[in-house]
Amino acid sequence: MLGDLGTAGLAVGLACATLTTLLWLRVALFGAAVRTARHGTAATLAAAALACALLETALLRHDFSVRFVAENGGRDVPLYYTLTSLWSALDGSLLLWLLVLGGYAALLARRAYPPRLHAYAMVVLSVVTMFFFALSTFAANPFRAVSPVPADGPGPNPLLQQHPAMGVHPPLLYAGYLGLVVPFAFALAAPLAGRDGPGWVRMARPWALVAWAALTGGIGMGAWWSYAVLGWGGYWAWDPVENASLLPWLTATAFLHTTLVRGRVAWHGALACASFLLVLLGTFLTRSGAVASVHAFTDSPLGPMLLGFVLLAVVVSAVLTGRRAPEPAPTERPRALSRATLVLVHAVLLVTIAAVVLIGTILPLLTTPLTGSGSSVGPAYYQRTAVPLAVVVLLVMGVTPALRVRDRSAALWRLVVPAGAGLGTVALVGLLSRPGPAALTAFGAAGFVLTGLAGDLAPRLRRPGPHRRPARLAGLVAHAGLALVAAGVAGSSAYGRDTERTLRVGETLRVSDVAVRLVGVDRTGGDGNMAVRARLVLTASGHERTIRPALRYQAARDTAVTVPAIGAGPLRDTYVTLLAVAEDSGTATVRLAVNPLVGLIWVGGALTAVSGLLAAAATARSRTRPAARADRPRPAPVAVGPGAPT
Amino acid sequence: MRWRRALVALVLVMLAAAAGAALARSAGDPDRQDPVRAVSAGLRCPACQGESVADSRSPIAAAMRQVVADQLAQGRDRTEIRRWFVQRYGADVLTDPPARGVRLLLWGVPALALLAGGYAAVRTLRPGAGRTGAARTGSAVPWAPDARGARRAWRVASAGVVALVASVAIVADRLDPPARPAPADPVAVALQLAHDLETQNRYDAAAQMYQEALRDRPDDDVRLRLAFAQLRAGDGAAAQRTARDVLAREPASPDGLLVLGLAQRNSRPVEAVDTLRRFLAVAPEHPAAAEIRRLLATGREPVGP
Repeated sequence: MLGDLGTAGLAVGLACATLTTLLWLRVALFGAAVRTARHGTAATLAAAALACALLETALLRHDFSVRFVAENGGRDVPLYYTLTSLWSALDGSLLLWLLVLGGYAALLARRAYPPRLHAYAMVVLSVVTMFFFALSTFAANPFRAVSPVPADGPGPNPLLQQHPAMGVHPPLLYAGYLGLVVPFAFALAAPLAGRDGPGWVRMARPWALVAWAALTGGIGMGAWWSYAVLGWGGYWAWDPVENASLLPWLTATAFLHTTLVRGRVAWHGALACASFLLVLLGTFLTRSGAVASVHAFTDSPLGPMLLGFVLLAVVVSAVLTGRRAPEPAPTERPRALSRATLVLVHAVLLVTIAAVVLIGTILPLLTTPLTGSGSSVGPAYYQRTAVPLAVVVLLVMGVTPALRVRDRSAALWRLVVPAGAGLGTVALVGLLSRPGPAALTAFGAAGFVLTGLAGDLAPRLRRPGPHRRPARLAGLVAHAGLALVAAGVAGSSAYGRDTERTLRVGETLRVSDVAVRLVGVDRTGGDGNMAVRARLVLTASGHERTIRPALRYQAARDTAVTVPAIGAGPLRDTYVTLLAVAEDSGTATVRLAVNPLVGLIWVGGALTAVSGLLAAAATARSRTRPAARADRPRPAPVAVGPGAPT
Repeated sequence: MRWRRALVALVLVMLAAAAGAALARSAGDPDRQDPVRAVSAGLRCPACQGESVADSRSPIAAAMRQVVADQLAQGRDRTEIRRWFVQRYGADVLTDPPARGVRLLLWGVPALALLAGGYAAVRTLRPGAGRTGAARTGSAVPWAPDARGARRAWRVASAGVVALVASVAIVADRLDPPARPAPADPVAVALQLAHDLETQNRYDAAAQMYQEALRDRPDDDVRLRLAFAQLRAGDGAAAQRTARDVLAREPASPDGLLVLGLAQRNSRPVEAVDTLRRFLAVAPEHPAAAEIRRLLATGREPVGP
């Protein structure tokens, strides 16, 4: 019953999305009334919401006649994880994808923009919605019937039942991914509507900021989640799925920066398109089963269709953004070292990092048909390529704000103290310890950036009253957050220490001044879900306390999940994982790790994500008060040309 | 002012020198890291997806770490150990194979992106660059359609929209979920590793590896090798259990009888003689048969199967 309703809902949604596309096309081509098209968009959203609600209902009612519930539901799954299991596998997560996409479309439909530009943007958005509705209806329908109806299901993958972040991380990531469809839609709509100028960029920027903030938050939360749940003590494994989220983030970051400097139309278009195309490509990579990944929750026939859509989108965006009207000739020669130059340098570097991550992720796909054997790309590759580039990005990030001052020598003077602080950091840290050149440089760069930002922020915070430019303040906070992340990554990778050993009750395992003593092993639960907990006494900095890392075994999926015990501190975490327990419970294999400065990654990531939202709010507010913008000092006009960015 | 500048420059130069010294000191210490970890980080765990031997918690990775540690203790250096692993398990075992052939793309593509981006940036910044396109200003609004053009665009676009949906519907019907590409076969690697461990007389670890392989491939051949390893590791009881497991399915398995008989000799000497006689009856030509005959005749310790 629920299954039939759901299939019908999807079919209605597909029909609505197709109609909506045509309705917006009518608006764009013939200037038809917008109202009907808006209704169509709202109806599409309603159909997506209905499909989600039906699948949730089926999950909650344990209706195992519905295929998705039979594969991912379970009677003894806690309520919270039953709710979140909507996005624990491909077919259901596609419904969430549709809901978020429909939400963005409905929001965009309600705004007032130049009519033709708006209509074409809505056409692009509707086509994307229509494609994913078609996928969901024909290729990945979660509502298909199962016969015979099983009595119980296996529940979601156990890794997805371990942490409350499951309720936040995937929706946040989807909000980030799909938010990037709006700048993409504007970038394609601009040439179609004959509005090639930079106007659309101003309209797209708040959307891009919201998407970027959500994506930043989603990535940061994913890193934190894998740190807190997977038990290996790391936060980034250069796993294809992780990389797939990093790719659009890099190009979206470049897009947001180039939008700060006027007259970069070619760059804006290319970066806006690239960001969403990378979202689509990432979806293909992670949803097709094409790449091996720890996120192997999805195996589906969608691959070829997604690939086809990616290629179609690439061709369409290349044709549309390539047919750009020439930009006005520049009036004056820009200085070599201007803010505009550095923003471009920054964009080029980010695009290069994206190229590194992209080729590293897809090379295993290419080698199999070309050479007949698989080939993996390990973290070492990224450490040699992406890490140095990221350090340079950090340095550029530190230099750029100083160049706001028109007077070059004044700008150089502003850099003296940060440069001194950066070099001093390198000298001091390098003489006290040996973290390795990469980490040392990252520390120096973080010191450089943070000192510069402090110098920039201090006078602002001293000034009473509302800040005149909250968007700029948000930018500074974002940079500070990223510098903190860099310091955290460098610190935890350079100073992290770990050891593992099988302990008898009473024995002790040590890393530097941290020790754990095994007190006992407790078993709980029955056959279906067994849990083993080790009772350990942790001694760190003179304090003693009991910790209980666990090992959970889920019979339905024959998987064991480690649940680490993490003692988080401001300077370092102690991270204890239970790896194995002997049958008689007399011994336990324990891994003890000390991870310094990891907390900085989470704090920095959160700061960065929040600053994105602040910037979005500030930009939206300044859009409603155009008068307030009139007194802003404009950056010097710089040369523009039809150079085709990558 | 000049003395102030000079002072600042001096301080910066001194700091830069100190930072340079710190960097050099940091770079000149390659053994900062745990050497076992350093080598195993370059090896791919065959039983897991996208994890290195250093990070993986699987038993096969633990055994490989042990092999690395043993070889380091024997004085081999990192390149030698890597070569040893590549010879046995193929180049796929490395997380980071050398850049040759297709792998040159790993450097080529980013370099190309950097060059193309840099070129585009230079063109964007160079004055006069925009003028080359000035002649085309007439087409500033390229696709503003007239009424007829709009109708044509409408027909083409709506046909395209329908075609997109139809193609998804048709293709979806003909697609099966993809077969997962099988990377290195973890069972094969586990068996090879177990064999290597046996040649190093580390029968406990070998037995553990065989058990690992058994979990993925419940095969009597593997089970028999496990039984031998258990026997040699001195765990007669386990060897008996494993051998009985095989014999339950195939009562006349020569190797099963052999292991069972040898394992029984401590706990049940009478049954052992019986089992070994049955072994000789089933497989008189078995390579171990002569040894067993001698054993039964003299009651002397066997050299082993």
